[in-house]
Formats: sequence, structure tokens, C-alpha cells
Amino acid sequence: MFRPAPRASGYFRTDYAQDLALVQTRAERVSVVVVIFLLAGFPFLASPFALDLACQVFLASIGALSLMLLTGYAGQISLGHAGLIAAGAFTTGILAREINAPFWITLPASVVSGMLLGFVFGLPSLRLRGLYLAVSTLALHFVVIYLGGEYETKRGFSTGIIVEPPRLAGFKLSDGRGWYFVLLIAAALSLIVCINLLRSRSGRAWRAVHAREPVAEALGINIAGYKLLAFIISSCMTSVAGCLFAYYRGFVSIEAFDLFLSIQYVAMIIIGGMGSLLGALLGAAFVTLFPYAIEDLLGLLPDVQKLAGDIFAVNYAAFGVVMILFLVLEPLGLVGVWRRMQNYFLLWPFKHRPLAGLRK
Amino acid sequence: MIKRIILSAIGACALALPAAAQDAYVVGLTGALTGPPSSTYAPAVEALRIYIDRVNAGGGVNGKKIQLVLEDDGAQPSKAAANTKKLITQDKAVLVVNASLSSTYAPMIAETKNAGVPLLFASGVCPQSVYPPADPLQFCTTGYASHFDSQATLDFVKATAKAPVKIGFSAMAIPLSRGEMDYAQDLSKTMDMTPVDEEVIPPPTADYTPFATKLKDAGPNWVYSWAPWVTQVRTLEALRKLGWQDEFIAWGHIEAEGDLARLKDDKFFVVNANALFQDALPIHKEIEEAAKKAGSKYPAQTMAEGWIGGMAIEAALKGAGWPADAIKVRAAMENLKIDTKGLRGGSIEWNKDNHFRTRLYYRVYRWSGDKIVRVQDWKTYDVK
Amino acid sequence: MQLVVNIVVLASIYALIACGYVLIYRVSRVLNLAHGELMMLGAYLLLATASLFSGHPAMALAAAALLSLLTGALVYVFLMRKMTGEMVLAAILTTVALGILIRGVAVLIWSAQQQYPAVALGVANPSLSLLGGARISIWSLALVLTNLAVYCGLFLFLNFSRWGMRMRAAGQNPLLAAQRGINLHGVYALAWSLSTLTGALAGILMALDSGLTTSMPVIGLKAFPAALVGGLDSLAGALLGALIVASAEVLLIYYVDPLLSDVVPFLVLIAMLIVRPWGLFGTREELDRV
Repeated sequence: MFRPAPRASGYFRTDYAQDLALVQTRAERVSVVVVIFLLAGFPFLASPFALDLACQVFLASIGALSLMLLTGYAGQISLGHAGLIAAGAFTTGILAREINAPFWITLPASVVSGMLLGFVFGLPSLRLRGLYLAVSTLALHFVVIYLGGEYETKRGFSTGIIVEPPRLAGFKLSDGRGWYFVLLIAAALSLIVCINLLRSRSGRAWRAVHAREPVAEALGINIAGYKLLAFIISSCMTSVAGCLFAYYRGFVSIEAFDLFLSIQYVAMIIIGGMGSLLGALLGAAFVTLFPYAIEDLLGLLPDVQKLAGDIFAVNYAAFGVVMILFLVLEPLGLVGVWRRMQNYFLLWPFKHRPLAGLRK
Repeated sequence: MIKRIILSAIGACALALPAAAQDAYVVGLTGALTGPPSSTYAPAVEALRIYIDRVNAGGGVNGKKIQLVLEDDGAQPSKAAANTKKLITQDKAVLVVNASLSSTYAPMIAETKNAGVPLLFASGVCPQSVYPPADPLQFCTTGYASHFDSQATLDFVKATAKAPVKIGFSAMAIPLSRGEMDYAQDLSKTMDMTPVDEEVIPPPTADYTPFATKLKDAGPNWVYSWAPWVTQVRTLEALRKLGWQDEFIAWGHIEAEGDLARLKDDKFFVVNANALFQDALPIHKEIEEAAKKAGSKYPAQTMAEGWIGGMAIEAALKGAGWPADAIKVRAAMENLKIDTKGLRGGSIEWNKDNHFRTRLYYRVYRWSGDKIVRVQDWKTYDVK
Repeated sequence: MQLVVNIVVLASIYALIACGYVLIYRVSRVLNLAHGELMMLGAYLLLATASLFSGHPAMALAAAALLSLLTGALVYVFLMRKMTGEMVLAAILTTVALGILIRGVAVLIWSAQQQYPAVALGVANPSLSLLGGARISIWSLALVLTNLAVYCGLFLFLNFSRWGMRMRAAGQNPLLAAQRGINLHGVYALAWSLSTLTGALAGILMALDSGLTTSMPVIGLKAFPAALVGGLDSLAGALLGALIVASAEVLLIYYVDPLLSDVVPFLVLIAMLIVRPWGLFGTREELDRV
């Protein structure tokens, strides 16, 4: 399978159930429990600002995971991700505003609109590849944005649509901690869905289509069907992210979904490391936290207030520089760095791993 | 290696962010300092910052300094919302200022409402919620205001026009500008003018000539534009290029004074709420000196709006006393009179119902010969 | 008649920008999404040289053109050379990152204000009368003529000069070209220089005509469909594609709805991708049929 070999020695898998289990060695079990503990305890220790950052990271990771599924595994380049998020957010906003729909209607509605839009975005992939596919998704993104803008103007929502926080049996979700847990669960669910998809028939089909399409077709895999499936599933997840975004921020407006957002998501999966779900998560965290880190670093400089206006242009430029550095120097992304660190500790005191198989 | 440094820096910063020193008034500002509309908002923010620095250099307000925390939102609503949250929860701002595009208003209003912190709009157009009856937490010092601006402009056109007016309109494809031009179109019909065409131009256009062609072919003898400056001035330039020679009137944004001198067009009128720097009032000299001392890269002429914002902040904090929290600042702002020292036609007055101003003053300028002349002095409109 | 003039001017703008995309794609199969920002950088360079050579507009223009040539070569040597052989998405993203970097640096150096290079150079922009009652401004006319000159020059260069033939060879089959002794790095650097030069010329002329704002790169993105409609590796196609897109835009503005002008290039693009993805004159590439 595509799972890495377990890292503890003296471990033998004796039946299929053990082989298929998500968490196998004792070390993995312990680390999963520790991570859950930390994540659950975080909101009680952190400042509201850090809580907001964490929520943003979780929201971003849902979108990043879906894009990783589409581009990293199925190999379909998509530059129109912001348009899909906008679709989910606008569906939520429109329904909430026009007919006062509660969230258990808007959420499935966002999924449905995501499916439809994903189908439309995916149609070019049946004929185009690589660059041309990317360009077609770009063009579709602009069309979606235009339609959103027209809706906003025609219906008089000049500064955006305000969305009330979701209610469930009288309990209103509007405080930081509540949102943290909701988004954490949403991100965890999308992660589990992605893992399951990749371990199943669809995942294998996508990897085959990505690697060698003619061979995949010869093996009997329905190329068209799986390409469309990749787009549809990916955009469903992205629409859900859009819906959550609308509720979390409390408003929807078309300016939030510009080309730069698409580029940020693509940067997330590339900086994180293509072809790895962990990479999507790391990339999402990196790209979301990066501007704040730059601001803090610049804040350490003396006499900063004088350059106040410049700081933000520096932020912009620094993002470009870091992206370039990652693309040029570290094509495997943050996951590559992570794996190098892991290998260092695993192999210590040896330096190099033997040629006979394992991860790069 | 580089990645490790960056990663550890992020880790260090994201987890342990220091709180602001509480021995000063903390005022937070989020503005469009980068991004396409930044040419309108960045100078205003710079002016505000220079004003606050001057106040601090002179001892501060009530003996305490004002700590101005600036954040950039690049005219993106989600970033504005995140900035507002940070300013309120982490920096503990007692007043939040918005100097950004109108699309950032809704999320900022939601955030400040949740926290009960007053929100001052200092550079973008005033939202309807500051007109009477005003939302308790929102205040606005910005010069231009929808509906009143068009009223003042059309009054001027009617007073100045020598022939029956056939008026064309030019808007940018953003909802506020379009809405305003629609309103002006309806208003013009009630004033015996004939609206001939309204052009709505999307923002990043390579060539304004096709739009101007359509506008010119409708045969107007006046054209009114209320939009970001770039749309206004490029429409005018395109119309002139096509050989249209009649009167053009537009809202005087901060770039107006520079462009009046550049275009030297004596049929180009600008309607202003701020006095232009060529009037050479004492306050103008003050601003010019402060800008030069601070080494600002924006010309002093663009700083009136931000300066007034700074005046408002100073007056509000002075009225709030020390120690001040958001509630005291809001109470002070509900009962405020800001002396603009000639930058506007009169003082800005806020009361419980009106967080906009009780009186609007408009002047009209145009270029004539070799300098800018004032065509109409302060004309007042009461806000009901 | 004015409509025809408008179409020609807009088509020249798009064509001049599009030939930059085409040059780089044809030679190295890389899509340069930083072209809009490089265009803007060219205009800002003119602003810088205008203050250096105040009083000599011709020298300032020449200096700006030379600087942009140099910039293109530097971008290749220091950045894109490292990306050869990487996957498509990574190369595109590198250019996007470069664009972001240029935008940030431009605001840092020159501030976000609107600039007017015409004022800095001390030149005016009078309007000429053409037959049929149409009018055109001097710099728009200059843009149209420059566009024609650039296309003719490129055509002659690519077909009749040594380096031009090398460029075409490298575009058709890099491996064979390298085996034949053609210096691929030199060819690519030359392609980037020429592309940046044409983009800078477009940016300079547009800035002289109507002013320089930090939102100029968006126009570069709108010109991209013109390149694709004609075929990403065909110069003649870029010209024709620009004409088609510009006509659609101007006619829709005049007769239908001005707001569509923002999205029309992309609608034309989508239509083209459905019907004939490799453009009007492009070479057929690896495409499937389902």
C-alpha cells in the first residue's frame, strides 16, 4: 500500500485488519493521543488572538486538503479555488439572507452548489491538461467572481451580505472557543475523509491517472469519471469551507475571493509539499501565519512606526520571496523538511539510509 | 536552513505575542495600505499617523500618550475582520479606526459591535448607519457622503448652467458609486435636467475611450462623476481626447489638487468638503511643515482627510479622560465638537442621534488661467 | 469610425502585452504570469529615468527600454533558470511569486500614489483628428505604431536572424537544439529580455497615455486570453486574438452593457478552450478526447 513502513522495529502485522488500521504502532498511538490532548487544551491556554489564528488555520486547511486531493493526488491543476470557496460562501449568504435559512439547510445547499460548480470546473479537464487546464480554471474563477459581484449589486448588498451566526436549539455559536472546536472537528473530518478516499479505490485510481494516464486507461480505469469525481469531491469540501467561512466571519462579500486567495491556496499545497496530506496541513498553517510572523519580526526593529506604511508592502514582498525560495530550494516543501528531520532522528547515529527502499 | 529560521520565528511569534503597554491610549487602525485602492487611503493614514505623533510629541492627551496601532488589510474584508479582532482582543484598543474600502465595513461593524468598541470611519465613505438615527458605536469624519454630495453638486450645476442641462453620469462598477449615480440621475429629473446616459466602468480598464465614446455620443453638456478619483479623472481625459469640450464636475478626492494643476482644464469643476491647500490657511502651513519634518513621501496636499481624523481622535480621547475604556470613549464621542481650523467649512458636531455631522459645507473649485480658483464658497446643508 | 479607432487602440494594447506571453511560452513552454507586473515595472523605470534624464525625454525612454531588457535577462538568470525541468505548476507559481514580489517592491520604492510619467518627462498628450470624425491621442497612436513595429521586428528577427532561428529551434525541440550546440540558457535569457522589453513598452506607453497606477498588472492578466485565443506559441495568432478580444469588448461596451467588458476576455477564452484549445494558430499539443 502507500503507507510508510512502521518506524518501530520488531513490529509484525499478522492480519489484514492490522494492515489497514490507521494507527499502528504504539508510538503512533501515543503521539495521536498527545496531539488530541494539545489541540483540546489549546483554547483554554491561549489568548483570543491566538485562538482566532488557530481557527483561520483550520478553515484554511479544509480548503488546502481539498486542493491537495485535486492537484497533488489526481494531478488536475486548478487555479480557481477562490471561486469555489466563493460559491459556498455565497450560497450560504444568499439563502440566509433571502429566505432566512438555518445552517442545516445552507450547509447541504453549499455542498450541492459545490458539486454543480465542481462539475462545471471539471469539464475542461476531460479535454485539457496541464497549463490549459489551469488557464480554464482561472477563466472560470473570473466568471464566478463576476456573477457574484453582479448579484451583490443587483440585490443592493453594496458592502456585502451579513450572515447571522448559526443557531442550534437556541444555542448561538459566536464565541472563540466554540468556533475553535467546531472548526477543529470540521478539519479533522475532512482529513479523515481525505485519508479514506486515498486509501480506497478512488484514491488508487487518481494516483494512476496522475502517474500514467494511458496505462490507467488500459487497466480499465474510467478516466473521465475519476477526473470529474476528483473535481466534484474537491469542490464539495471547498464549498463546505466556504460555508463555514461565511458563518465564521459573519459576512460575505465578493472582494474577499480574489485571485490572490487562489494563489494562496496553491502556495499552501506547494509550500507544504505536493502529494502529501500532512503537507496540506503544514502549508495551510504556514501561509496563514506567515503575515503575522513577518509583522512581529518587523516589530522588533527599532523606530518602526515611521515605516508603518512600508511594513505592509514588505509583507507582500516577503511572501513573494518566501514562495520563490521554497519553490527553488525546497521543491518537496515543508513535508520534505519534516521528513528530513524525522530521518535524522531515526537514523542517528548513522547519516545515510540504505538504498533498499524507504521514503525519500 | 532558511526554512528552519522562518519556522522557528513563526513558532516563537505565534505563541507568545506580547501585550501592549497599558500606560497609553490604545487606538487601532486598519486600512488599505497596500492593494489597488491604496493610493486613496494610504496618504490619509500617513496624515493621521503624523498628527498623532505630533500630539504625542507635545505631551499627549490628558498627560498620556496615544499609541496608534496600524494594521494593513489590503482592502480585503476578511483581513480587516481579522485585524479588528486582533486590535480589540490583543492590543486592547479603546477605539478602532477604519481607513479602507467600503467592502470592509460590514465585518468590522460586526466585530466592534460584539466587543462594544466604537468604530470611526476616517477615510472611506460614511455608511448610512451614522446618519440620524445613528448606530451607537459608529462615527464618521470623512468628507464625502452619499446623497448629500449629489444634492450639492446638482444644485451647483443648476445655478451655474447657462443652457438647459443635459447631464451624463460616470460611475465605477462598485455598488456605492453606481448607487450614487442612480440616485443622482433620479434627482436630476426632479430639477429640470435631462439625464442622457450613465456609464458604469469596471475598475481595472486599459482604455477609457470606449466608455467615453458612448457617453459623448449621448450628447451631454455636463457630466457628473462620483467615484474613486481614477475613474473620474480618466473619464474626463478620455472625453477631452474625443473632443468633448463641455463642463465636467466631480468629487474632489485627495488627489484633486494635484490633478487640477496637471490638467489645466478650465471646465473641470471639483466639489470639495475640504479646503484646498492653495487657500493657504494657517492650518495648511502647519500640515505642510509637519509632513516635511516627518519626511513623508506623500505630498502634503493629500493629508487633509487624515488630519481631520487625527483631530477627531484627539478630541474624543481628551473628552474621555483617564483612565479611559471603550465605554467612556464612546460617551465622549457622542457629545463632541471638533474644530477643523478651516479645513472644513465649519466644525464637526456629533450628538446622540447624529454621528455624521449636523451641517455639511461644500466648496467648488476649478482651474482658471494659471491657478485654482474658488467658484463657490462654503454652502451649507443641514443634516436631518 | 470612432469605434474602429477604439478597437484598434485596445487591440494594440492587448497585442503588445500578448506577444510577451507568446515569446516566452514559445521558446521555453513557461507561462509568465508576472508579465503584468513586469509591464508595470517598466513604467516605473521610466519614472526613475525621467528624473535622471530630466529634459531629455528620448534618452529617458531609451534608458528605460534598456533597463527593462536587462531586467528580463536578470529574471531569467537568477530565478527561472533554476526552475527548468520542474513541473508546470511550480514554474507558473514561481512567476506568480515574482509578480507579488515586484508589486511589493514597487510600492516600497515609489509609494502607492498614482504617478504621471508624462508630467515627469515634460511631454504633452494632445489629441489628433482622423478621418471620419474620429480622434486619437498622440500616445495611443504611438502605441499602435509601436505595436506594428514590434511585431514586424519580431517577425524579421525570428525568421531571418541567427539568434531568432536558434530561438525557434529551442522552442520546437530543446533537446535536439542543445545537441546541435545552441546555447539554451542564452536563448531563454534572450526570450525573457525581449518579452520584458515588449511588456515594458506597453506599460510605458499606457502610462504616458493615461497614468500609472499599481493596478496595472490586472490589465496584463486581461491580455492573456488574447494570447491564448490566437495560440500561445504563435505571434500572428496573438495579433489576431487581440483583435478578436478587443472587438468583442468595445462592441459589447457600446451596444450591450459596459460591465461585461471586465469578463468578456475570459468568456472568449472559455469559448476558445471548448472549441479549439490550442488557439487559432497554435500547434496542437497533448490533448485528449473523451
